[in-house]
Amino acid sequence: MSTKCILLIDDEETIQEVVQVGLELETDWEVLTASSGLEGIAIAKTKLPDAILLDVMMPDMDGIATFSKLKANSKTQSIPVIFLTAKTQIAEQHPFKKIGIAGVIIKPFNSITLAIQIAEMLEWKV
Amino acid sequence: MQSAEKPQRLESLLKAGFERSFEAIAIVGDNGQFIEVNPAVCDLFGLAREELINHSIINFLKLDLNCEQAWHLFWERGQEIGEVQLLCPNGTTRAVEYTSVIDLSPGNHLLILRDITKRRQAAKEELQRQHQRVELFSEVTLKIRQSLQLKEILQTAVTEVQRILQADRVLIYQVFANGTGKTISEATLPTYPAILDVEFPEEVFPAEYRELYGQGRTQAYADVHSPDAALAECLVEFLDEWYVKAKLVVPILQSLNSHTNSQNRRVKPQNQLWGLLIAHQCQAARPWSEFEVELMQQLADQIGIALSQAQLLENLEEMVAERTAELRKVNSNLQQEINDRLQAEEALRRSEEQLRLITNALPVLIAYIDKEQRYRFNNQAYKTWLGLSPSEVSGSHLQKVHGKKVYQQIRVHVEAALSGRTVTYEHEMTLKDRRTHSVSVTYIPHLSEEEGLVKGFFALTSDISDRKAIERMKDEFISVVSHELRTPLASIHGSLKILATGKLGKLSATGQRMLEIADEQTDRLVRLVNNVLDLQRIESGKVNMDKKACNAADLIKKAVQAMQTMATEHGVNLATKSTSFSVWADPDYIVQTLTNLLSNAIKFSPANSTVWLSAITDNEVNRTKNQKQLGCSTTTYVTFQVKDQGQGIPNSQLESIFERFEQVDSSDSRKKGGTGLGLTICRKIIQQHGGKIWAESSLGKGSTFYFTLPALKQQEEDNHEY
Repeated sequence: MSTKCILLIDDEETIQEVVQVGLELETDWEVLTASSGLEGIAIAKTKLPDAILLDVMMPDMDGIATFSKLKANSKTQSIPVIFLTAKTQIAEQHPFKKIGIAGVIIKPFNSITLAIQIAEMLEWKV
Repeated sequence: MQSAEKPQRLESLLKAGFERSFEAIAIVGDNGQFIEVNPAVCDLFGLAREELINHSIINFLKLDLNCEQAWHLFWERGQEIGEVQLLCPNGTTRAVEYTSVIDLSPGNHLLILRDITKRRQAAKEELQRQHQRVELFSEVTLKIRQSLQLKEILQTAVTEVQRILQADRVLIYQVFANGTGKTISEATLPTYPAILDVEFPEEVFPAEYRELYGQGRTQAYADVHSPDAALAECLVEFLDEWYVKAKLVVPILQSLNSHTNSQNRRVKPQNQLWGLLIAHQCQAARPWSEFEVELMQQLADQIGIALSQAQLLENLEEMVAERTAELRKVNSNLQQEINDRLQAEEALRRSEEQLRLITNALPVLIAYIDKEQRYRFNNQAYKTWLGLSPSEVSGSHLQKVHGKKVYQQIRVHVEAALSGRTVTYEHEMTLKDRRTHSVSVTYIPHLSEEEGLVKGFFALTSDISDRKAIERMKDEFISVVSHELRTPLASIHGSLKILATGKLGKLSATGQRMLEIADEQTDRLVRLVNNVLDLQRIESGKVNMDKKACNAADLIKKAVQAMQTMATEHGVNLATKSTSFSVWADPDYIVQTLTNLLSNAIKFSPANSTVWLSAITDNEVNRTKNQKQLGCSTTTYVTFQVKDQGQGIPNSQLESIFERFEQVDSSDSRKKGGTGLGLTICRKIIQQHGGKIWAESSLGKGSTFYFTLPALKQQEEDNHEY
């Protein structure tokens, strides 16, 4: 798997750790983490990751708002975004699909197959 | 000499006649002076001859003119016979009839005077008597006429007749139709026996008598014992029994009323003998004067008239009584009807009042709107909710009450109700408190019983703001719970997965086993949480299925892709068969259903067995024995089926397995890691698509799960992009 840079934006530090460990164990991807939407946007602008894993439910700025800002910025608007959400309902996911995200990964996810899931969604060669 | 003797003899005879005449004969001169008078003149005037001779008769005439004028008037009348009034010297007045012969010899006129004073007096007295009787008759008639009571009339008649005629007994004998009769009224002097209620024997009052009386015969007997009376002996004996010496009998005839005969011709009234008016003189024989007879006849006539009147009155009274009875009956019926109506109105009023009380007490808007979309009834809630008085609402159009904007929003529902459909919808409504409330509105069409046409609809609006608020809180709660549960689960799950790879260090075999258990149970816990949340959301009706045209083959393909890993792990082969049918469905939910059914089939299939997944149309299904279970004949359906070669399901459990936490074997959840909610969720999803789900099974051979989805026809497919 070619080297990719993934930015994970999630206010839960344990999730950050599990995702980071899981992805780094299975791939040689660089995993960046941010604890809020604002922090994530700032990192995205500077680091320009290949993809962003974005938690939907976050305090202050939730995933939808963060996504909007990323898409509104010329530097970050082309970065594919995958939502990480605890909203399991199909009906709840309908709105996400309509705003142009690359995919949805439901929590809890399989940390070992997470890299494969991401690659399939982004059509990266594994 | 003979010729000379004759004049002398004549003179002598004339003189004797003159002297002896009862008539008063006088010779008067031109001025009326008496030249010669006979003794009768002296008697007439009450004066001696000498006192009359040379005195003018004018002095004795009762005239208001002076003597000369009077004489000339008297004389110039030229009448030979006349009447004058004489004033006699004794002061009396005498009526005198005179005969005059003018110029018996020149200057000598003959006057013959007759005293008619007594005759005149008698005539006058008779006239007075007759007048008095006529008056009495009129009085009696009036009394008779004044009364309408027959008994009173008859008694008045006999009493008055007895008084006028001074008879000893007056009675009225009524003759009955069978020929008998009896005395029904009488006025008898106390000295004579009463004859009331006595019936005349047949021999004294035979049929021929009745017939004669019926023809109007009157019988007056001055003396019943006189041979001239020629009365039968038995009758005389009967009359003697009652001391009757003289009797006067007049018939009382009653005029029968005119009537209409069977030929519809008016029949003239006829007289019929009703009875007899009889006057008896008991003290002595008595001649009955013509006047008395006439009076009796007239009174009898009056009684007849009175009888007719009384009969008319009786008839009239009968008619009045009958009519009154009829009117009473009608009135009674009318009263009953009025009472019934009043009772019904009262019951209706009470019912309406009760209904109004109920409707006013209910915390909902209740109204009836006619087909013109105007309010015909509304409860008190319109006042409390919207601040609209009944007069502002009643008769007003929906648009006027709710405003143009709201009316445009609800119009489609109103029109649906007026087309005969019951409609329920939720709506936002700004109430009097200026806050927006969520309301649930139901329109129930009012159909006329005869034609089945829509006459209007009943509108029920309830405030569901509280319910909505609770639902929002519940949604938020679930969302939070979902997030708060999943976040630590995600960390645990992720960590366990990483540990299980052994890349972070090797564990002992037991440690590895414990790690696997923790991993499996975490998976199970995740599925359980997912299923619980799924079911809750679907059951609450909050899920809006994003239905679209879907290709059945694509749905099957996605499900197989999702389950291929699991099938491989279980050594189960997945086989599919599908033609290119399209269904109207939310693809994500249908894939979820298919993967759930596939997951079950794989879990319960032995290794090296096959699970078939296919889709067929109605036409194919109808050839199967289960076509009845589709329950749909007008819509075309696509039937999906998942068939396995597992242990099968007992028939008794084919239904219950779709209930929550119902599994064929309670150990399945532990063995197979199921949650017991998968099939329940599948059923809910299919039901929300308007389809049906069921299972068939043969123990030891396997099971087949079916579900149907509405198929899209080719034309519909063309209209949908997918």
